[in-house]
Amino acid sequence: MKSRKWMAGLGVASMLMAGVLSGCSSEGASTEGKDGEKTQVTLAGWGGNPTEEKLLKQTIADFEEKNPDIDVKLEVITEQYMDVIKTRLIGGEGPDVFYLDAFEAPALIETGVIEPLDEYVTDEFDVDDFEKPLLEAFISDDQTYGFPKDYSTLALFYNKKMLDEAGVEVPQTWDDFQKAAKTLTKDGKYGFGVAPELARQFWVAQSLGGDVVKDGKANFASDDVVTALKPVIDMHNEDQSAVEPKEVGATWGGEVFGQEKAAMVIEGNWAIPFLADTFPDVEYGTAELPTIDGKKSTMAYSVAYVMNAASEKKKASWKLLSYLTGKEGMETWTSKGYALPTRKSVAEKLGYDQDELRGPLVAGASYATVWSEGTNLPTITNNFNNQFLSAFLGDRPLDDALKEAQKQANSEIDSN
Amino acid sequence: MKSLSRRALRESGQGYLFMSPALFVLLLFIIGPIFYVIFLSFHKVQLLGGASYDFVAFDNFARILDDTRAQIALWNTFKYVVIVVPCQTILALILAATLNAGMKGQSVFRIIYFLPTLTSSAVLTLIFMWMYNKNGLINNMLDAIGLPTYNFLGDPDIALNAIMIMNIWSTAPFFMVIYLAALQDIPDSLYEAAELDGASTIQKFMKITVPHLRPVTSFVAIMGLIGTFQLFDQSYIFSGGSGGPDNSTLTVVLLVYQYAFKNLGTMGYAAALVLMLAIVILVATLIQRKFSKEESLY
Repeated sequence: MKSRKWMAGLGVASMLMAGVLSGCSSEGASTEGKDGEKTQVTLAGWGGNPTEEKLLKQTIADFEEKNPDIDVKLEVITEQYMDVIKTRLIGGEGPDVFYLDAFEAPALIETGVIEPLDEYVTDEFDVDDFEKPLLEAFISDDQTYGFPKDYSTLALFYNKKMLDEAGVEVPQTWDDFQKAAKTLTKDGKYGFGVAPELARQFWVAQSLGGDVVKDGKANFASDDVVTALKPVIDMHNEDQSAVEPKEVGATWGGEVFGQEKAAMVIEGNWAIPFLADTFPDVEYGTAELPTIDGKKSTMAYSVAYVMNAASEKKKASWKLLSYLTGKEGMETWTSKGYALPTRKSVAEKLGYDQDELRGPLVAGASYATVWSEGTNLPTITNNFNNQFLSAFLGDRPLDDALKEAQKQANSEIDSN
Repeated sequence: MKSLSRRALRESGQGYLFMSPALFVLLLFIIGPIFYVIFLSFHKVQLLGGASYDFVAFDNFARILDDTRAQIALWNTFKYVVIVVPCQTILALILAATLNAGMKGQSVFRIIYFLPTLTSSAVLTLIFMWMYNKNGLINNMLDAIGLPTYNFLGDPDIALNAIMIMNIWSTAPFFMVIYLAALQDIPDSLYEAAELDGASTIQKFMKITVPHLRPVTSFVAIMGLIGTFQLFDQSYIFSGGSGGPDNSTLTVVLLVYQYAFKNLGTMGYAAALVLMLAIVILVATLIQRKFSKEESLY
């Protein structure tokens, strides 16, 4: 009788423990290559708007049709994408193929969790077809770790009506731009809706030859950078012709522009569908960014598909990855203009360089600076943004603010 | 030890066996992580791509002393605690006292006052951000009565205060309920006696209500301290995870989050920061108890 009680207790306890433990165990071993069985490849990314999601599903459906032995499981991570991906990679539960922003790429590649792709690449895949600067953001030590799925550059968006009324031409140079912004500022409306953050100001910061990042360290307090950024601050504090979206109750540049509170904003491709959906009545045009010191420049933001180095289904993963970034897949994915193709041949075929609104964006690709600069860029950006804002709001001089931010950024980099 | 017979041994063994699932869960999810954090705080940790742990002794703690952002975070958190805890405690006490005064429609007011507590803090923050908007409700109201308007979300001097107001408004009702329960326990005879002696309402409140509520006040203050020191979600949503504008909404927990998840390879430093916060909370709680001079059970 007694021993039976013992047994019962043991049984209950072990069942509960088994329950707890099984929650943590990983899924079964690799099923790749078995006959008649489908290989399941997981693909993780963040959600886009409904049209974008439809296009991605279309591309995946095409792929599955061509590869009946592979089943693609799409996982949409809606919030805190990088946190979720990092945590899952640490836990050994990472997706086989996933999105990786060029901004985060160097640091993640350095840890060795991303599979180098060179040995998979075939001639047919045609690597040379990619826009070179975009591809380079995912190359480290001569190894390619990802292929960019799309990109966007920055262009000048201007409100046709407001410019006509003020009798202002679309500014070609940085000086013209500042004058135009001043003329356009009246009746509670501003000339320039500006985003006071490094991601958007990087091209301005480097326009006089200064480096924001030097030898992997913050260098944005150097004279060239400070001088280059000064006009942005002056436009806000002296001319009062520039405004941050938050100051007029909007969340980002596209919204300020759509609400016609600012006549000009510097935004990317993403603003075009947004304006068409939310503010269809605004008449606007796009132009290449004004030249600073006679030189053209802009930013390019890109995202690649990368493969998890710990994946057990690498062959199938490569098939998927190469289809998504291949000529056929990319054509489907970028066909509606929500994203710009990183392959020259696809861009030509879809004719975006001829497009009235997207032409200036495509034109920028050849001279754009890619938003990616070594492993420490996230730390540098964080510190820059924090202090740049206080200078922007007029709380302190720009050079002081940036000096302090640089010191802080570099001390963080040194301690890491 | 003589009473520890075979039978007693077996019985206690059985007891532990039945408790084992709970003990196991406790060990795995509570005790284990605490020791793991202590372990991490003495190491330089890289978790991605083949975990590596290098013993660095007290380097992580020494780094806190050099880290301006850690100091800003600590200072912000401190300001926040010092202002929010007394405000929410006093507000809760006043709300509870008015609700207990026996006026008409008391239960309706009780429900209305308690409503903010039911909203999740994330939703609450989003609603407040909308109201704090440059063209939002609060600025419109300020404008209507001729007061200056503020850029609550973008101005470093105001952003933290905006979070404070929001949090006092949302947590005070919870403590109000605790006060209400305690108020019911104060015997009416005391008030009757005071009335006979000619005490005014305010005198009754100060001389009877407040002293009798002292143990509860102490509880409310300690819970408030712990809660406010751990401020994270509001400032996270408010600043989009950055602690901006200009580090003004950076709190210790937000900084810990940034080091643990946003940077790679700084998990050890994040663990050291979190231990420091634990020590700060412990000390603050001890000081609070010393001042409240109350033998209590918590």
